[in-house]
Amino acid sequence: MSDTNTTQMAVRTDDVWKIYPMEPEPVEAVRGLTLAVEPGDFVAMAGPSGSGKTTVLNLLGGLTRPTRGRIWIGGEEITDMSDKRLAYLRMERIGFVFQAYNLLPVLTALENAEFTLLLKGVPAKERHERVRALFREIGLEGLEDRRPGKLSGGQQQRVAVARAVVADPALVLADEPTANLDSTTSAALLDIMDRLNRDHGTTFVFSTHDSRVMDRARRLITLVDGRIESDVRRDTTDAAP
Amino acid sequence: MRALILLKLAARSVGRNARRSALTAAAMVFGLALLILSRTLAEGAHEQWIESAVRMGTGHVAIQAPGYLESSDLDDRLGAAESARAISAIETVLTDELVAWAPRLSVNGLASSAASALPVRIEGVDPTRERAFSDIEDKVQEGRYLEPGDRLHAYVGIELARRLDLKVGSRFVLTAQSASGDIEGQLVRVSGIFRTFIPEVDQALVHIPIETAREWLRTPGAASTLALLLRGARETDRAVEALRGELAAEPNVRVLGWREASAELDAALRIDDYGDYVFHSILFAIVALAVLNAVMMSVLGRRREFGVLQALGLTGAETGMIVFGEGIFLTAVSGAVGVVAGFILTWGFFRNGLDLSRLVDSEAAFAGAGGIIDPVIIPVFHTDQILLSVYFILIIGALSATYPAWRASKLDVAEAMKFEQ
Repeated sequence: MSDTNTTQMAVRTDDVWKIYPMEPEPVEAVRGLTLAVEPGDFVAMAGPSGSGKTTVLNLLGGLTRPTRGRIWIGGEEITDMSDKRLAYLRMERIGFVFQAYNLLPVLTALENAEFTLLLKGVPAKERHERVRALFREIGLEGLEDRRPGKLSGGQQQRVAVARAVVADPALVLADEPTANLDSTTSAALLDIMDRLNRDHGTTFVFSTHDSRVMDRARRLITLVDGRIESDVRRDTTDAAP
Repeated sequence: MRALILLKLAARSVGRNARRSALTAAAMVFGLALLILSRTLAEGAHEQWIESAVRMGTGHVAIQAPGYLESSDLDDRLGAAESARAISAIETVLTDELVAWAPRLSVNGLASSAASALPVRIEGVDPTRERAFSDIEDKVQEGRYLEPGDRLHAYVGIELARRLDLKVGSRFVLTAQSASGDIEGQLVRVSGIFRTFIPEVDQALVHIPIETAREWLRTPGAASTLALLLRGARETDRAVEALRGELAAEPNVRVLGWREASAELDAALRIDDYGDYVFHSILFAIVALAVLNAVMMSVLGRRREFGVLQALGLTGAETGMIVFGEGIFLTAVSGAVGVVAGFILTWGFFRNGLDLSRLVDSEAAFAGAGGIIDPVIIPVFHTDQILLSVYFILIIGALSATYPAWRASKLDVAEAMKFEQ
């Protein structure tokens, strides 16, 4: 793939391997992953447990480093990037949504959602306006001052989504975001992410077991034993809300 | 800007995790409160000890002839002229801090009665000044202390009286080498018998009027020591410096602080201090381990939280700074609360003193190095000591937070974020 293509991609990997040194023998969690995700895409990665979905997301988000191979985010290679630069890149370009919500327990819903904006030095007034607008959009209005312990699972995951997208990242990585939610809440959350993707052009990459998420994805990648088994682009017009 | 955000986050984490913070802080508050109690009681005991020893001995400051400290010999004395200039210097430079001063003419000699003869330390004293200076009058068991106008009277220790079979009104002979080199005798009569509980004093000390001593020893106007009592031991260094400056032109006058003049007391206090340091070190170690344990447990329980922070854009070092900041905040708050708790504990329970008299058979158990420690120890607060304790607690807090902070900074983010049901 040319450099021009690399620059145009939201994320690209080239023959990425992740091997964990375990006893009695090393575990190859990701094996030769070569992948390119276009900006504005809505990608689901499916596969059985242990297929390497979470590891791939961690690699794409710079949370773990590949054993070999190369990774680019928005044209910038992160493979050997310093920890400090990588942290900065995560703050500037990547949003994360985790299976277990992972909100900071000492912060309120609003403070959690605005955290990335705070790190980026956005003034308080602007931060609050942006978060409140987003909260209105995703049905969290009135819950701004609640701490995570006082929110339902669906509400917490919506706050996590707000935190991931509020700073307009180029890429949102979501690790099984609906795994702990009931079907109604899952559908509502997917609607929100779908809308954000369509309205804001945010690139989403999910790992999932959930067929509802797969149905919504415009591209479905199936992983088995750390390798891509299939990579299918789909028409989701009917699945859209 | 980022540092401010990290500090804010640390403060918020401490403030919003009230129970966890309270548990961590409790160890430090308790440790500091105990430390303040222990320090103030130790200071109180020391001050009482020093006060007792300097009153029984040569004061906070002693003015002597050079060589007297080493020889205790009558030949090493302040003559009438040197004494007068030293007294003038005392009155010139020590205006506020001086409580009393007293001249003493001391000589080693022999006390003989019909029953026996024993070596003694004879001190010629000015009864009026001695009363203001020492509390030996309060130690009277029989008879009375010396009065102005007394000539051939003697105030003797109880053990000496017993061994010489003396009673109030008994006569006995003091024998010593006078300034002329002759062995001279002086007949005196017992006016009173005292008991200090310091064996070497009760066995060997005899007070007689200084004018009688000067006449007997042929040393008119002389003194072995001009003993100065100050408001407190902490005034000593300044007073010594001022007097040395004022008497710099006097080659036959030497100014000594109590640590130099009472080497035995100084050594005993240093040994006692060493014991305190060991005790306090143990206390500090316990507090440090408690803090380390509490902060460490808090860090281990928040691995995912720190992982999230790093996923959102903090570096490992910044995550470590938050943990370190939490430790510092906790320590600072605990330090303030600990000082207040220490004051309340000390003042509330021990403002009238810690009474240890039930723990000992007699007051004698508390005597040593020329002084007596009262079995009722009154705590004494010194700002510098309190600040030192707070300073140490802050250091301990900072050190205890360092390792957990380091652990947090070295977190494997992907591992920390693993979902656990």
